[in-house]
Amino acid sequence: MNLLPVFDMAEPVTAEQAIALKSAHPLARYLAGGTDLIPNLRRGLGAPDVLISLAKIPEFRQFEASGDSLVIGAGVNIAELATSDLLRKSYPAISMAAASIAGPAHRGMATVGGNLCLDTRCVFYNQSKWWRAANNFCLKQDGDTCHVVKKGNKCVAAYSGDLAPALMVLGAEVEIASTAGRRRRSLAGIFREDGQAWLDLEPADLVVAVHIPARPGVRSGYFKSRIRQSMDFPLAGVAAAMNCEGVNILSLAVAITGTNSRPVQLEGLQALTGGPLSDRLLDELGKNISRTIQPMRTTLAPSLYRRHMAGVLAERLVTQLYRDGACNQRSKP
Amino acid sequence: MNAVKRTSGVGVRTPLIDGIEKVRGTAKYTADLAPEGALVGRIFRSPYAHAEILSIDLSAARALPGVIAVISGEECKTPYGIVPITQNEYPLARTRVRYLGEPVAAVAAIDEATAEKALELIRLEVRELPSCYTAADARKPDAVLLHDNRPGNLEREVSNSFGDVEAGFAAADLVREEVFHCAEVTHVHIEPHAALADYDPVRGQLTFQSVSQVPYYVHLMLAQCLGMETSRIRIIKPFIGGGFGARSETLNFELVCALLARAAGGRVRMVLSREETFLTHRGRPAADVRIKLGLSRGGRITAVEAEMTQLGGAYGGYGIITILYAGALLNAIYDIPAVRYSGYRVYSNTPPCGAMRGHGTVDMRYAFETLLNRMAAELGLDAFAVRRANLLSTPMVTINGLQVTSCGLPQALDWVEAGSRWRERKGKLPKGRGLGLGCSHFVSGAAKAVQWTGEPDATVNIKLDFDGNVTVFTGATEIGQGSSTVVAQVAAEVLGLDYSRICVLAKDSAVTPKDNGSYSSRVTYMVGNATLAAAEKLQQRLLATAARKLGAEPAQVEFHGEEYRLAGSDKPGIAYIDVVKEALVGHGTITERGIFVVPREFQGGKHRGAAVGSTMGFSYAATVVEVSVDEGTGEIVVEDIWVSHDTGFAINPLAVEGQVQGAIWMGMGQALMEETNFRDGLHMHTSMLDYKVPTILDSPNIHTHIVESIDPNGPFGAKEASEGGIAGIMPALTQAVAEATGVDFNETPLTPDRIVEALRKARRREAIRNKPVRDSAGARGQ
Repeated sequence: MNLLPVFDMAEPVTAEQAIALKSAHPLARYLAGGTDLIPNLRRGLGAPDVLISLAKIPEFRQFEASGDSLVIGAGVNIAELATSDLLRKSYPAISMAAASIAGPAHRGMATVGGNLCLDTRCVFYNQSKWWRAANNFCLKQDGDTCHVVKKGNKCVAAYSGDLAPALMVLGAEVEIASTAGRRRRSLAGIFREDGQAWLDLEPADLVVAVHIPARPGVRSGYFKSRIRQSMDFPLAGVAAAMNCEGVNILSLAVAITGTNSRPVQLEGLQALTGGPLSDRLLDELGKNISRTIQPMRTTLAPSLYRRHMAGVLAERLVTQLYRDGACNQRSKP
Repeated sequence: MNAVKRTSGVGVRTPLIDGIEKVRGTAKYTADLAPEGALVGRIFRSPYAHAEILSIDLSAARALPGVIAVISGEECKTPYGIVPITQNEYPLARTRVRYLGEPVAAVAAIDEATAEKALELIRLEVRELPSCYTAADARKPDAVLLHDNRPGNLEREVSNSFGDVEAGFAAADLVREEVFHCAEVTHVHIEPHAALADYDPVRGQLTFQSVSQVPYYVHLMLAQCLGMETSRIRIIKPFIGGGFGARSETLNFELVCALLARAAGGRVRMVLSREETFLTHRGRPAADVRIKLGLSRGGRITAVEAEMTQLGGAYGGYGIITILYAGALLNAIYDIPAVRYSGYRVYSNTPPCGAMRGHGTVDMRYAFETLLNRMAAELGLDAFAVRRANLLSTPMVTINGLQVTSCGLPQALDWVEAGSRWRERKGKLPKGRGLGLGCSHFVSGAAKAVQWTGEPDATVNIKLDFDGNVTVFTGATEIGQGSSTVVAQVAAEVLGLDYSRICVLAKDSAVTPKDNGSYSSRVTYMVGNATLAAAEKLQQRLLATAARKLGAEPAQVEFHGEEYRLAGSDKPGIAYIDVVKEALVGHGTITERGIFVVPREFQGGKHRGAAVGSTMGFSYAATVVEVSVDEGTGEIVVEDIWVSHDTGFAINPLAVEGQVQGAIWMGMGQALMEETNFRDGLHMHTSMLDYKVPTILDSPNIHTHIVESIDPNGPFGAKEASEGGIAGIMPALTQAVAEATGVDFNETPLTPDRIVEALRKARRREAIRNKPVRDSAGARGQ
């Protein structure tokens, strides 16, 4: 951890002011909780001339449930999510994902928007400038070689946010403020499979809030693989949401983080639904995961283990969600 | 008197006397010291793993406004190192760089931004050399030599044999041999490295403060490398945030900081990043162990043959001592008739290793205890039974000349066996769960100091003044382990005083007597004994004074807290403060001195390197670990650990428990997740995110028990408390995991990916073996 670059600090009070500032200062960076940005800047990963703090924008702090949806402002901190009774009861995937992020001190600072837009990570990238220079830098920053994929020309740094998969399986949309006004997109739609440009957003675009549709009866959860029970980023993180009628699964959504340059939502799961949980369903789920994810040697833990864990956690989570529901069914008179 | 609950003295659970400052955040650590005018010191580090230095151009950095000094290896042509015979490291590399991150040049500038800019202006021109990152590569016949005078890249080859090893194996009913590998680990003290050097060019004096565990050795090395008289140097010790051995030798940044201060003619403050702290390293080397044991049917050990290869990094450091420890402490825990040891300390192009908690013993003990557990099982013996079959009886001298005067291992075994309900549960646990046992020991201070001077092993001064308060002056380094508290307790015990009357000064070479420092768990034993001696002398004076006032003989006087009176008398006595005033009449402030000397017979045998491992008191520990293993994810949950530690006598039971728990926790980290790997010489774990120290959520319930074997020579019978317990965890955990999974592991750490991979292989092997084999005609084999 070395010296921070010299920068000016701006503290706009509306999203529109923030966007105007960003448009005026192309090298500027948005600053939310800073738990990822500040260590990166100390490592010489970028040298913004302006940091645009989002802390004073009231809209970012909204956190409310109305009849048909839940709105979580981008500035709500992770600790609030992790301790929210509403989330624990109705959106457990979000609650579990939030509780699994970093450690208590980080959670008190880190924000929803920051975690969603979290920079991709790689053992050859999250290092000091001295370290990266000694390694001849890398594709993602200051260099032209990839140390993970020899001769590769596309960065494979891993997306490691925990919240995104949890929100994706719940059908979340993000509200984006931009120079052209406000718009909404599906959360999955803002990500790209590119470690260097993992967000499909314009430079000035700002995630203002997440909107989650209310879906009564949907059960959800998030399981995370890591070496330690605290602090660590996911080696693989799996979120799932399921809706059942009686013993039959009506809908199933699964999304995975930590294995690709974006959080990936599995496609084609609807074909597996309609009946009860079965070995066939779990086998197909496993095959789907194998096809979809692509963990690379971006972490110290072997990529093969991350692949293995995505499968194990998905199978366990889906089974648990089903059983939780099945028990409820049986307990009815 | 006995009804009154004692609040001070030995045996009393005493919160650390310097704990209040730490809890309140007012304690000043080195990085908190920022005197006016201090320049910022920064180090330019090698971006090459191995290279010949062709030129270093400092001119552009020197020309930058705000830069006061820029230095390179030219600044110091004298090598340094903790072991006098193997000093081969320079504060700043000369002619060659040998690892990525090695200091090459340094700058002192008016602020951090300028210092950083100056680093970018330094030009290093090199010719790159081939590198060795593994012991196997370094020992190849055609491997490039790191040091021209070290053929085979061997820092030290140890070969010794005690007893009749061949006869021992011949007499054994079971002989087994296995190989083990332990990854390199490091200390991760919470406080990153820092130093503050203040050079007075008018007087030619240096005042130096740093994070060191061994201020006296730093004093010597500063004098050596700066070419100064020791008398021109003063070392002051601030609060220190841990060490675990990392700071038990002089470190390059300390010397560089002082060199910069002299070059700048002023103050230089140097605060290393966490990355630089990892690169400074001095941790436990990666170890390859081959070990062979012979056991009789009854579990008696008949012979041991062990070979240790340590990947030591680029410089000598503590290397010789580490490789000797690994062999020496094969002894002194069990009664073993024959031991052969071969040790290889290998140079490599990685940061130098050094001393770390359980110095030299941990990886060897892991291999030994793991094999012992397996062989016991093969013989149908319980893990406890096989230990009990080999217990030492004290006093005794081991075959390699180590004196063992007290051993509480039997009691420690009994306690963990009962505590873990081993007998009822071992072998009967549900699938996925397991229990394991490991034993370990360590020295209570190396009997022979690494820098032998002929001076006593510890010297303590004690002062009594007009206010009745007692100040104890010691050079012992409080690094968070509680050494100052132990000193206060010993003094309070002897003098019968409350802590409020005792002040411990352990901080300044101009004030406190020289002390070798906090390493090899020497402080409680040696400094505790010296404190005891000093306090007793002072007490004799006070008793004599009181006796004179009471018209009696000193032997007739007793003291109770703040009162001296005739023994057995109801008459009111004399207040302590009045005794003090009387004692000072005509004499003034009283100063007494206590020393402690380790007798020659405790300093090991006569063979080469015999002093290493020798001590006056061995601590012992038995550890039982219970785990559950998730076979799907490979995750190990350490459910409970029972540890019983023979500390001789617990001067501060609270601190002993803390130290034992700390050792357990550190050992668990090495067993489960800590490792240091390099890719092309680049350190891959230079942050606390990438170097996995367990968090509190990974911590099990630790059931701690203290055995008091009352060592005949320790202060009040005390021995060490913080290192003896660490080496039992890895073998205990490995045995527990074997029971839980049915798979034997011969490496650490047991990360989940390794577990999954091993289980996958084991299942595959099982499937192959269990498949019925058809003969060539196609008929089923029978």
